[in-house]
Order: sequence, then structure tokens, then C-alpha cells
Amino acid sequence: MPLPALFAILVAALVGAAVVARSGTRSLPLRALAGALGGGLGALAVSAPIDFCTFSDEYETKDYVFGLVLMAAGAAAGIAAARAAMAPERKPDTNATSHSVWRNWWMPWLLLSPTLAVLVVFLYWPAIETIRYSTKLARLSNPKQVDRCVYNFTELIGPSRPWLALVLAGLGMVGIAAGVLLDRQGRRVARSARTIVSAVSAISLFAALAFIFTDDYRQVYVVTMIISVGTVVGGLVISLGIAFIAYQPIRGASVYRTLLIWPYAISPPIAGLLFFVIFDANTGIIDHWTTTLLDTGLADYRTTPVLAQLVVIIASIWKTLGYNLLFYVAGLQTIPPDQVEAAMIDGASAWQRFRYVVIPALSPITFFLIVTNLTYAFFETYGTIDYLTKGGPAGATNVAMYEIIQVFNTGGDLGRGSAQSMILFAGVVGLTMWQFRSTGRRVTYG
Amino acid sequence: MREQRRTRRFAALALAATVVLAACGDDDDSDADDEPATEESTDEPATDDEPADEPAADDEPAAEPAGDDEEASGDDAVIPVWIAFEDYRLDWTNEVAAAFNEQVDGYSVEITGFASYNDAFDAAIQAINSGEPPAVVHFFEAATQEARDALAGNGEPVFADLEAIIDGRTEVAGVPVVLDDVVASAATYYQLDGSYTSMPWNTSSAIMFLNRTLLDAAGVEGTPATWQELEAACEAFMASDAATDSCVTWPNHSWFVEQDIALQGELLANNDNGRSGRADEVFIDSDAMVDYVTWWKGMADQGYYTYTGTQRDWGGTYDLFAAQNVPFLLYSSSDTTALTDEGANGGFEVEAAFLPRNGEATGGGALIGGATNWVINGLDETTQDGAIAWVNFLSNPENAASWHQTTGYIPITETAVSNLEAEGYFDENPNQRIASEQLAASPDTPATTGALVGNFVAIRDVITESIESVLVNGDDPAEAMAAAQEDAQALLDEYNLLFADG
Repeated sequence: MPLPALFAILVAALVGAAVVARSGTRSLPLRALAGALGGGLGALAVSAPIDFCTFSDEYETKDYVFGLVLMAAGAAAGIAAARAAMAPERKPDTNATSHSVWRNWWMPWLLLSPTLAVLVVFLYWPAIETIRYSTKLARLSNPKQVDRCVYNFTELIGPSRPWLALVLAGLGMVGIAAGVLLDRQGRRVARSARTIVSAVSAISLFAALAFIFTDDYRQVYVVTMIISVGTVVGGLVISLGIAFIAYQPIRGASVYRTLLIWPYAISPPIAGLLFFVIFDANTGIIDHWTTTLLDTGLADYRTTPVLAQLVVIIASIWKTLGYNLLFYVAGLQTIPPDQVEAAMIDGASAWQRFRYVVIPALSPITFFLIVTNLTYAFFETYGTIDYLTKGGPAGATNVAMYEIIQVFNTGGDLGRGSAQSMILFAGVVGLTMWQFRSTGRRVTYG
Repeated sequence: MREQRRTRRFAALALAATVVLAACGDDDDSDADDEPATEESTDEPATDDEPADEPAADDEPAAEPAGDDEEASGDDAVIPVWIAFEDYRLDWTNEVAAAFNEQVDGYSVEITGFASYNDAFDAAIQAINSGEPPAVVHFFEAATQEARDALAGNGEPVFADLEAIIDGRTEVAGVPVVLDDVVASAATYYQLDGSYTSMPWNTSSAIMFLNRTLLDAAGVEGTPATWQELEAACEAFMASDAATDSCVTWPNHSWFVEQDIALQGELLANNDNGRSGRADEVFIDSDAMVDYVTWWKGMADQGYYTYTGTQRDWGGTYDLFAAQNVPFLLYSSSDTTALTDEGANGGFEVEAAFLPRNGEATGGGALIGGATNWVINGLDETTQDGAIAWVNFLSNPENAASWHQTTGYIPITETAVSNLEAEGYFDENPNQRIASEQLAASPDTPATTGALVGNFVAIRDVITESIESVLVNGDDPAEAMAAAQEDAQALLDEYNLLFADG
């Protein structure tokens, strides 16, 4: 083991010991030991499988730094696990409905085994293979593989404006610190202040990330963000609006509510195909209308970057609309009418009733939909994009998932494909965690 | 008017039906398989001009046992053949397979269609690794180097060397070997040290199509043979009363770039385009390349060239010509038959001509494109002989001629050419002759033989991406191609790291 690696692991162990020792019910030496083990092993677990290669002289500084960041992340996970293990045990809930206990310890495992087998074969094993491939130069047509350390990742890193990334990252950190402080202040601080601080820190961190990547990959990152955020925000706003209208008790409501759900049954490529037919600059129906009514043809979305992104977003929103409506219509039906009536008696206008009664009551559903819609936007827009724009023009709709499939499909490049899918995975995990911490806390389950 | 409305209503109905079918048939399988057949291939533009055609069918390989299974006796050795077509070309192949099963005793060929060459190739490697290989796989010219290099999981080559397994026989399972008869342009492309590693099948060249009716209306005469003449013809056309939205289009596909480099007599890779030794250097930023991209950008900037906005867009460019939006189309000869029919059905005259070349460069010539059939390595002797018999049967004079007439791919053997000539077919269908003539007029030099480069499929994408940035974002051609050179060279270096000896 190279000395810097040993040093890094020791630091991780010390930090772990310090952090875990601060709280918990077990004895202090035990807590410190657990923290040290968690931190040290966590850092070791990510650096040992690649043989501490980031510390070797043949790689660049950015590989070195990337290796350290990885070890820090591993250590953080290990420390968190240690902390959870040392936390006071929750007392079993005596009020809970009585549950039987298995007499044989192996019985639950036996019953779980089919599920576990499926998970191992179809989820864990491929995931481990992906991690392994991400450190290799490999292609399908050759069993030979060449070790690449973390090059598949670090080749995407190349800050052209490092100072900007640093400034933004600093701003994000300050924001987070301010957020923590505000939280300590409790109710004395206005809610809006906290919202602003959290938004500023999140946006500057996301922007800082953008400036870490090379020009090529930054475009993929920014496009992914634009299309995902556009799809999720636009989709939820529009579907909530339509659901609110469709929810009104009118004759035939059940029929058109059912009809509204149809787009969900259509696969993403078909959505792409439909919008291709609608928006085509030469033969599309929209072009026909604009020509007839406004006497000007529609600009070609396939050669206009902003239009291309817009069309992809619209197609994706349309595709997820039925799914979102399903949940919102169901959610609206669960809002007790007396709450709305009470607000009405208090003199709340229709907008105020919507804003202060309906939207908060729907918050659990909105929260759930944000997570599922984000997952859709990140992972399942490939078919739509492939039919509409093929990632063009000039990469304007080349989202991360599209890029991964292109890398593998035309290049046959298993290593890069795996590395980029790890990055996308990390991005989605990060975003979801941020989501749970920020919005998730405000969700009221009534 | 009413008729038009009816057509539209029918189209809407058809679309609705397709959507419903697709919704039932294919689930959220938004994988790579959705790519239409034309994607990765050099020269199989979709002849169906409606992209709405059978979206569901694109998704999975349509496994169709060829011929009448009842007729095949149970003892027949099954020869699984995988081809990268799913349209009318798959139907044609199925018919030939039925004839083969009837005429050749002891074998039963079963054709499976795939959405793209890469899909068929990837599936073949995985099938070999899981112990159930096909016998014949159809793979395209740009990946010839990779096909020769490819190793299965056990470290053995994926494909057998065709001439080595033929072993000098002139007849296999009663089917005559036709390799000696293959036309020169395909022979030089696919031979390694004078012997074939695979059997040439669909072979084409990039040629120009003209809407003569539209040009006559604009008073533009003659057939441009050079970039400069094409530009002048476009200037005259766009200035005339018959002017349409623009003058010319072609797909942003690396194949056209390669054609135009070869037509200038320049190389794309070192070691004689990879022909005298493994290529380890590419020349994406050569003067010939920059000149070509600069001319292309100029045509677009003047409004003469229409970029459809997506790379490798065979369908969109075809449609612009078929709808008479442009009088010139640079396209693959593989669709000569379909494009000529478009004119006949649409009431305009379609003429085929040689691809325009740089008038300031001499000594070059056009390239082939297309694909060959590869026999899988390590088959038992019976299956292997059946596979050899099938690939030769597919290109026998009768089938080669029928294939040419159906599609526009050149007749792959000399006998097929002379038979068609004797029938008077070319005199009746002068457009069908152009691709063969263009290839025959090409001198035999390393530049016009075509580049043999590892990772070429990915390198091609680097080229088209850079050109797209020039056409859409207005990047400087020299800078864009210099960046492409760097990326392409890195891709080749990585490939050679895995495959080159040592």
C-alpha cells in the first residue's frame, strides 16, 4: 500500500472515531472503535479493489484527487453505518398489532430466498460487474481487458474555469452551513428564508458540478438537467392543473378521466414518433397550422437546439401525463371536503383554497411523483429522443442516458459505458437524497 | 381535394392503429434495439418514406423460419443465418432461402432479421459465448477490421477465414463457389493478401440522383460532375423561377465523407489505408477533409444544402427528394430502384449520375459500401459446408441479378453483370448501371480501396458529430476536424491496445 493511501485511511479512521464518539448510548471506547473501523474500512473498500492505483505516478493529479474523493465518500458511508449501529436501539412498539415470530431462524430466509436470488442475479451481480467494467478498457469482441484505474471517470473531468467551480462550490457550502444554522434557530426564522437558502445552495452546487466537467461532458450534464427539470416541473404543474379540472364532478367524468390516462400506456419511442409527426417542419400538422394562420412556417426543431429541447420536454410530459393524472385525481378525491368548505367559509378565494388547502394536502403525492418523474426523465427518455432528434442538433438533446447507449452501441465500449452509467446513478442517488432532505421534510401525511 | 382528405384520414387511422398495436406489442423497451435498420449501416437507407411504418416491428428481430418447414425432412442440418435487414430485403432473402432448401439436399437455412449490423454482431458474440452460435452473420464493410479481429469469450476468433474453410473446393454441397467471379471493386475491398475472409453480398456506391423535370423547369442544363459545377447549378437553380426551398441534400453520414476523400485520391489512415499493415494513425484533419467540409459548409451557408438535423438521416433526405423539395440528392445506389420508382409514380424524371468530386483534385475514385456474410468459426463440418454453400448460393448469377433489380445494390458477380447486359436490362434501366460504372472507373489505389481501421464505427460517429457542429453551430471546419482527429486517434489507439499483437 502506498504511503499516502495509508495516511488517508488513517485520517478517515480518526475522523470516524471522533464523529461516532460524539453521540450514542454505548461506551465511549466502543463508539470510537466502531467509528474508526467504519471510516477506515469504508475508505479501504473503495481503494483496495483498484489496487490504490490513483496514487501511482503514472496517473495525473486529477486522478489522485478523484481517488481521495472516492475514499472520502467510502469513509462517509462507513461512518454513517457505524453511527447507525451505535445509535440507541428503538424500543419495540408495544402498541403495534401483534405479530408472530418465526420459530426457526432459517424459515424467513427460506421464504425470502426466491426474491433474494432474483435480486442477486439481476441486480447485485450486474451492478458489481458494472463497477468492475468501469475501471477497464474493454469491448464485447475481445475477452482481453486492460486496467484503466479511474481514467474512464477522470477523462470527463477537466475544469476549463476552475475558479468558477470553486466559487460556486464555496457558495453552496456557505448555503448549507447557513441552512444548518437556520435549522438550529428553529421557528424564529421565517420559512421563506430557509427556502431561499436551500435553493441557493442547491443551485450553486449543481452549477459548480457543471464546471468540473470537460466541455463535451458539461453539455451532456447541462442538457440532462434542462430536459429532466423541464419534464418534471412542467409535467407536475400541467398534470395538477388538468387533474383539478378533471376532478370536478361533471357528467361523464369517469369516461374522460379514463381516457386521460391513455398516454401512459404508450411506449416512449411511440411518443417520439407521434411528436415527430406533429412537429415535423415540412409535413407536420403544427407547421400546417402556422403556415395557414400566421403565414409563416414552423422553424425546424431538428436544427434549432432550443426548440429541439422543448419538443423533447413536451413529448416526455405528454408521455408521463396519464401517470401523474392518475395519482393526482386519486389524491384530490381523498381531500376531505369539509376542509375546503371551512376555507370557503373563512372567505378564501378559489386560488387561496387551491394554494393553501389543496396543494399541501397533495404534498405526499407530489413528493412521490417528483421521485418517479425524475427517474423517468433520467432513464427512460431514450426512445423518445431517438425518434425525435437522435440527440441532436449538435448534442442539444443528448442526455446522459442517450450518451451512455451511444457509447456502448456504436463504440462497443464497455468501460466508458459502465463509468458513465455509474455517474448517472450517482447523480440520481444524490438528487433523490437532496429531495428527501429538503422537500421530503415538508411533506405532511395528514 | 376530397381525395386528399380521404388519404389523410386513412393515414390518421393507420397511425392510430399502429399506436395501439405498438402499445400492446412492445412494452417500455426503450433500448438500443429501437434503432431503425438504417442506423449503423452504411448503405441501407429506409425505402419506406413514412417513419411511421411498423414501429413495432423495429423492436425485435423477426424470426421467420425460411421455406416450408413441412417440406424439410427432420434430418436436415439447420443453418441459422442472421442478417441485418428487417424490411423487403428480409422478405427477398427468405424467398431465396426457400429456393435453397428446395434445391440443396440435407440443409435447411433459417433466416433471422436484426435491426442493425451491430445488433446482429453483438447477438452473435453472445450466442457463441452461450454455446448456440448462428452459422452465418451479415456484417458491414466499416467493421471489416473488427470482424477479422473479433474474439469470442474463449479467446477463439469469432469468424472463420472463408477461403481457408473452402480449402480450394470449387463446389460445396453441390453449390458452385462464385468467389472468383466477384467484381473487382468488392474483391479489392474484402480481400486480405489476395484471399477473401468473408463473402461479399450487398454492395453499393454513393451516387447522385437528379430530378431532371425540376431542373428543366428551372432551365438548368447538364449534369454536374464536380463540387464546383454542382454549386454553379444550384446557384442557377435557386435564382430561377422554379426554385424550391433548397437545392441539394445528403445524409450526414461518414460514408459520404470517405467517398469524397477517396475521390480526391487521399488516404484516411496510414499504412496504405490499413491495407499494407495495421493502421495506427488516422488522418481526419487532412487538407482534403478540411476542403470538403469547408465546401459543404459553404453550400449550407448559401442555402443550397439542407441539413435535416440528424446524423445518418437516410429517411429525411430521401423524403426531401421524393417530395421534389430538392432537385439533387446524393445517396446510396442501394435505393436506385426505389428512387427511380418515386419519379415514375410522382410524375418526374429521376436520373442517376456519378458522385460529384473536387474539380481541383485528380487521381481518386469512388468506394464501395455494404456488407458481407461471415461464417462463424468452429462449426462442425456439415454445418460449415452448409454455410459456405448458402453464402455462395445467395450470390450466384441468378440471385445476384435479382438482388440488383430488387434494390439497386450492384450485381456482385461479373456473370450477373453480363447476363443483365445481354438481357438489355441496363439499356431499359440506365440508372441501374451508374454505380457499377462509377466503381469500375475508380483506379486501383490504396485511397480508393477504402480504409481498414479498427474501431471505425465509433470513429465514423466522431466525424459526423464534428460535421454537425460545423453545420448547426457554425464551428470552423479546420478546428472541428482537428478536434475530431484527436478523438478518433484516441479511439484507434485504444482499439489497437486491445487487438494489436503484443
